[in-house]
Amino acid sequence: MKYKIIKAIDLAGLTFLTPVVRLCYREEPRKQLKEIGRYIVIPVVAFSAFIFLWTVIAPRHKTKSGEVPTPFVVWDAADSIWKFHDREGDKEDAYGLSGKTRDEKLLIVEERLAQLAPLEELANSQVKQAEAARSEFVEEKVSPLLSKYEQLSQQFSAARNDREAGLQRDAALLTSGDLDRKNAYLAEVRLHADKTEDERQILKELKAEEDSIRADKFSDLVAALSVQTKIAEERQYLGKLAEHLGKSNRTARLEGQVSQLRADQTAFVSAKGEEAFRLAKRIVKHEERIKKTSESTYAKPWTLPMQIYRSLACVFVGFFIGSAIAIPVGVLCGLSSTFMAAMTPFIALFKPVSPIVWLPIALIIVGGFIPDPDKHWLIDLLASLPLIGWMKINPAFIASAVTVALCSLWATMVNTALGVASIEKDHINVARVLRLGFWDRLVKIVIPSALPLIFAGLRISLGVGWMVLVAAELLSSSEGIGKFVWDQFNNGASDSFAKMMVVVFVVGFVGLLLDRIMIVFQRLVSFDDAPAAM
Amino acid sequence: MAWLELNQVNVGFGPQDARTEVLTDVNLQVEKNEFVAVIGFSGSGKSTLISALAGLTTPDSGTVSIGGKTVTEPGPDRGIMFQNYSLLPWLSVYSNIELAVRQVFLEMPKAERVDYIQHYIDMVNLTGAEWKKPHELSGGMRQRLSLARTLSMKPEVLLLDEPLSALDALTRAQLQDEIIRIWEHDRRTVVMITNDVDEAVVMADRIVALTPGPKATTGRSFPVTLDRPRERSTLNFNPQFTRLRNDVTRYMMDINQEAKELRVAESVQLPDCEPLDLSSRTSRMVVS
Repeated sequence: MKYKIIKAIDLAGLTFLTPVVRLCYREEPRKQLKEIGRYIVIPVVAFSAFIFLWTVIAPRHKTKSGEVPTPFVVWDAADSIWKFHDREGDKEDAYGLSGKTRDEKLLIVEERLAQLAPLEELANSQVKQAEAARSEFVEEKVSPLLSKYEQLSQQFSAARNDREAGLQRDAALLTSGDLDRKNAYLAEVRLHADKTEDERQILKELKAEEDSIRADKFSDLVAALSVQTKIAEERQYLGKLAEHLGKSNRTARLEGQVSQLRADQTAFVSAKGEEAFRLAKRIVKHEERIKKTSESTYAKPWTLPMQIYRSLACVFVGFFIGSAIAIPVGVLCGLSSTFMAAMTPFIALFKPVSPIVWLPIALIIVGGFIPDPDKHWLIDLLASLPLIGWMKINPAFIASAVTVALCSLWATMVNTALGVASIEKDHINVARVLRLGFWDRLVKIVIPSALPLIFAGLRISLGVGWMVLVAAELLSSSEGIGKFVWDQFNNGASDSFAKMMVVVFVVGFVGLLLDRIMIVFQRLVSFDDAPAAM
Repeated sequence: MAWLELNQVNVGFGPQDARTEVLTDVNLQVEKNEFVAVIGFSGSGKSTLISALAGLTTPDSGTVSIGGKTVTEPGPDRGIMFQNYSLLPWLSVYSNIELAVRQVFLEMPKAERVDYIQHYIDMVNLTGAEWKKPHELSGGMRQRLSLARTLSMKPEVLLLDEPLSALDALTRAQLQDEIIRIWEHDRRTVVMITNDVDEAVVMADRIVALTPGPKATTGRSFPVTLDRPRERSTLNFNPQFTRLRNDVTRYMMDINQEAKELRVAESVQLPDCEPLDLSSRTSRMVVS
């Protein structure tokens, strides 16, 4: 049992858990504790230190989009992203609800709305209080500054007027020639200018001080505002929910439309002539509308979890396209040095090309194949598929996937070629002695022996693909993680910056997960005991 | 004409102007069902010889023929057992043998094939390790698997390329006995390459020496007339065994000495002439 667990952990590449398992079985506790210290405690400490440093340093850097968010702000942003997703899901559900469940749900929502009203009032009054307290506090601090400013500016302007009058008097005494006196006069004027500048500077500093006091965050107010915002958001959400359960609900709309239809139908029975024609036309229209409504779904906006799902779909599509090209070409390269020589210039030339260059080209080429996405059979086909149909696959998605493929296929191709070319001579000899045909040799000897390296290549490819994808989506506006970042960047809401930081962790975590999965595959196909690189 | 014949075989490697002749004028005759051990020093082209027999290497000149037919390509009728096992590491014990069996006996029904493969696994005492991968086996077990795979092809000739040289002495002795046991049970022609005189004397009907390379060729042939089965425990006290072993060893030492002397004697005669004085010639040219 113990060895089975350890083996499974090893396969999954979670070797840091091994000492924990061993400790549970009381195997050399001292050694295991040491291992736990090294592989679990140290990383946790390092990460905590990172979080601490981040918390301390982040607020010190002010940007146009506000302060650099601290971990707590980022956490809040993640929470709000999740809440948004959750609430949109609720609305979608609400739109489709009917009958008793719909009534019950509506009741709950209205109850909560009623509860919310006093809370909102309280929050509003608290915000007002906090604002009042703040302005009082600010005024208190600012008023001496203001009076000082007033006083100083009067004083300075009086002094300046005096000085200028003096200088004018002196000027009247100047005679032509007499350079020495003229130079002395010039020096006096310079002095006057310097003094004026100094005084202006002093006033400016006072003003800046006042501004900074006014701009100072007032923690009570911030807290009150955030409570108010949260309540307002919830009220808005509940309002929408009530709407989707109430008059905007599909069933409700259908009921209304059906009753209109019925009315017209009964009127049609007794109508004739012009009237009958008019009613018949209306009935047909009603029927069409009812059909449309019964097929309609809630127009759900993209949420980050949905975008992650779509990004994953996109990266896998790209990865499969890339692998479907890279593996056969790689095998051919490995088998024939002539073919390899023919491919080398392409590999060398195209491998370093950035996704930013591939993407516009891919967009144009894909656009050429799909001139009218609304009426193209491929798009229609993809939209009708389960699991990916809802993702609204469009040319931008395909172009992003193609970009991923173009950037990621090289690692697999080169590794496959290497794996096939470096097959052991003994294995080839076995094939020769057995007189295996070309296909048998390929399938039974060459590919199995190259599999570990092929998978090493695939693992690199998937990693590269994931990195490339975010950039590709950002550029192509294909819904996904990249688009989310771009939207946040352009949005400029107070929490946009924090939301972008959330994406850093999301992308990192998904990438890590993909890599782990590939490690497991790589280990499963490796026949020697050599562990895959971490 | 012998059943298996090497006739004036020459094998060399490298380009025309820097050619290394590995084997020159090798002649070897092996009768049907004879067990011949080819003994030679390392680097004397023993593996090249077995490659030529297997058809993996084509001789530059001369012919290799088995049963009157000239060998032109490798085939399962000449089962070769490599020095470093050459098992397919991604296949289990069973699948390694299955690959060979399926290829050689295309029409064998599945049920029969399963029994057939199991028979060979049992034969080499690998029962219970059917689903292990080669890296989970010890050196001796791997070589046994290699033997089972080779035998399962029912080859007419068994070519053993230093099959036991990578094993420790105890495993080696055990496997020698096992190979002999299997061979006695199911006789066929065997050519075994070895560098161990004892091994050759214990196992073979005839020992053929290979002179040290490069340009190795076949030397003296020693018939081994010891009765079978040869009991390892009593063999050391058998005067015939000791004498033969000493004869072979001495001969091998001698040819090695000879080869060394030959190499020293192979001095290049320099031409007896005076070099031209180019400097005086150029000066003359300048003057004129």
